[in-house]
Amino acid sequence: MSVVNYGTREITCKIVYYGPGRSGKTTNLQHVYSQLPEERKGKMVSLATETDRTLFFDFLPLDLGTISGFATRFQLYTVPGQVYYAATRKLVLQGVDGVVFVADSQSRQLAENIESLQDLHANLADEGLDPRTLPLVMQYNKRDLPPVEISSIEELDEMLNFRDVPYFSATAINGGGVFETLRSIASLVLSRLSAPAVKES
Amino acid sequence: MAKEPKKKGDSEQEEGGEFDDFMADISQEIAKRVESLDTKPKAPPVQRKKTPAVPDAGLIVEWPNIADRMIEEMR
Repeated sequence: MSVVNYGTREITCKIVYYGPGRSGKTTNLQHVYSQLPEERKGKMVSLATETDRTLFFDFLPLDLGTISGFATRFQLYTVPGQVYYAATRKLVLQGVDGVVFVADSQSRQLAENIESLQDLHANLADEGLDPRTLPLVMQYNKRDLPPVEISSIEELDEMLNFRDVPYFSATAINGGGVFETLRSIASLVLSRLSAPAVKES
Repeated sequence: MAKEPKKKGDSEQEEGGEFDDFMADISQEIAKRVESLDTKPKAPPVQRKKTPAVPDAGLIVEWPNIADRMIEEMR
């Protein structure tokens, strides 16, 4: 859980990009990484197969520097989308503060989107997190594909956005919508920041 | 309503421009949060337990003075 630590003057938040395989989760992180100023560029850890599929997960530490006297860090993760990496997805979700669900807008991928969303809910519940209240943002990616191949935003939203959370249309491949999505989830996560509990004597 | 993505070439933003905008927004958000958390009522200060007074005169009954007394003894 994200916490404002007054002792160490630190704020750390974990954001996970979730979604079906090849929906563009890694592409989101790659765009964020490409926009980082040199002095803030840490290491983006990405474990991919020869065919560029995420094998384990991607990790991008986003060191935002000192804000209001607090060293602020966002940790961005992706999960492997393929169904058989269920254990990895669960592991990456541990201690998550917010989720970006990256949906593939292609009409033929609708079933995969739904399956992945159900998988997210089940895994969050297994981790003791409430899928109904955890900060969540939907991103409908690949909007640059021909209209005949993709579902409309309205269709996607009706099928996937049960919680009526903020949603963004994106073309992550050229950076469209990537920062808008990140800003939205960061804002939701920050609005839930809490100070560490005070131990009673 | 979903926001339409920016296309490449739509803006003249240089690399890092998007990040700067993001930083500006996030900084404001954090400043607000930190301020609101800071103004929450703080836990009452923990009261130090006083060393119980021992009836025998001559014994040390006030712990804060013990270091001074020890130093004095050593001189």
